[in-house]
Amino acid sequence: MALTEQQQRAYVASQAADARLNVELQTEDMVLNIGPQHPATHGTLRVVARLDGEQVVWADVVCGYMHRGYEKLTEVRTYPQITTLVNRIDWLSSFANEVPFILAAEKLMEIEAPPRAQYIRTILFELARIANITLFIGTMGADLGAITPVFYAFRDRERILNQIEAVTGGRFHPNFDRIGGLKDDLPRGWIDETKNAMVRVREFCDELEELLMGNEIFQARTRGIGVIPSDIGLSYGLSGANIRASGIDWDLRRDQDLPLAWKDLDWKVWTHPDGDSFARFWVRLQETREASKMVDQMLDGLPAGSIQAKVPRIIKVPAGEAWVHTENPLGEMGYYVVSQGGLGPFRCKIRSASFNNVSVLPWLLRGAYVPDIITILASLYFILGDIDR
Amino acid sequence: MPDIPGKGLVKGLGVTLRTMLQPAVTTQYPREKETPATRARGVIALHQENCTVCMLCARSCPDWCIYIEGHREKAPPRRAGGRPRQVNELDRFDIDYALCMYCGICVDVCPFDALFWSPEFEYSEERIADLLHDKDRLSEWMETVPEAPPLEVGAQAAKK
Repeated sequence: MALTEQQQRAYVASQAADARLNVELQTEDMVLNIGPQHPATHGTLRVVARLDGEQVVWADVVCGYMHRGYEKLTEVRTYPQITTLVNRIDWLSSFANEVPFILAAEKLMEIEAPPRAQYIRTILFELARIANITLFIGTMGADLGAITPVFYAFRDRERILNQIEAVTGGRFHPNFDRIGGLKDDLPRGWIDETKNAMVRVREFCDELEELLMGNEIFQARTRGIGVIPSDIGLSYGLSGANIRASGIDWDLRRDQDLPLAWKDLDWKVWTHPDGDSFARFWVRLQETREASKMVDQMLDGLPAGSIQAKVPRIIKVPAGEAWVHTENPLGEMGYYVVSQGGLGPFRCKIRSASFNNVSVLPWLLRGAYVPDIITILASLYFILGDIDR
Repeated sequence: MPDIPGKGLVKGLGVTLRTMLQPAVTTQYPREKETPATRARGVIALHQENCTVCMLCARSCPDWCIYIEGHREKAPPRRAGGRPRQVNELDRFDIDYALCMYCGICVDVCPFDALFWSPEFEYSEERIADLLHDKDRLSEWMETVPEAPPLEVGAQAAKK
């Protein structure tokens, strides 16, 4: 448990105050199970909360209801087969899951994809980010009781998914990344269509900024709710927009040198000093807009040439170990691949963002009120497949 | 905020009014249909004549849902006076779509162009066992396989 001394003292004091109140009013704690089947958890996550009246005095997260054992499965698959598995970890931004794994395999094989492949990879990566966060923007509204944004989100995400489908053939599970490049090049007319879609994404962001973020009820329910101080966020291993909303300027797209196109682009990492639910929503909304601008830049600067480096027909990865992590829509996602020179990895450790992001919940929910649990769960934005793998 | 009371409500109703005047985006599926993308991975079609029973697709399938059986046959020699050839004849080629993950690895690895993607998607069944398509059913899908779309500017045609 990473608690500062001040927080510990505050906690003990609050417990003592509660206990006094309990003696006076003769109340009893009530255990409330949120989930495993609860619409606000967007899957099968169980949050056990002990309540005193309306206030949470203790909370714990029970995950693993959707464990599919991907780390073990990778040991009995070949490298080209694994991309189709890791698609299903964070199912809303599947392409983004493939990229770090393929980069780790390429690092071991000491090959690098040609520039055009790197650009197309980054474009699809950012499209996956937009598709993922668009849905977050909608469901955050739905969890807070606003029904309209979720329909808008599904409507506008459809355009992004159509673009992904037109190039990869799959709306959710592209399986498009190959070691040393990509499966195929872009179909004709795709660049113009994607630019139109990006205009619509920015319109959607403007619309939601006005409709949802400017709404008084939304602000009242999110401002100051679920505040994560930056040191707590760091000690729990939060990543992605959750840590940037706590004022930490940390983005793996900018902070490391990967063979992808981000280093050639002109863009900004958005941070927010507050660390509350509103800040997390705000940062994600800005990131969506920033991602659409990045896609525009990459479409303009798309280099010509081949999309596949020379690789052997049967891919054997030399013995060694490699760790590659990228900034996925939900946060840091990394693969630690251990190879012994075979057709598949000997061991593959998957670090997915949501698992660490929900680990802060026991700390965060303490002292929160019951309606705010939903706000906090929605604003942390996890995907169950990403937690349980 | 020192605002006029009810301003948010009026703003919200304004959005409703604007959306009301726009055409609906919903496609009423069974009555009207969207055309899927050309590259969409709907169903796998089999070109029987090209298959040489090499088993590459069955071996590279991540969930082993392709079942192939074949036998060797003597074929007449190519030239007069030559030796009779050995050819592999396909007896069984089943894909179990109840297991298939639609990853497309089998289509990629096929060295003889016997497997193709078709964007057709309407083949749901009432019984799960009926999702096992045999080679005749898979060959029927060949009619729906589209031409590969032309590539974007700057693309290099893949070497065969």
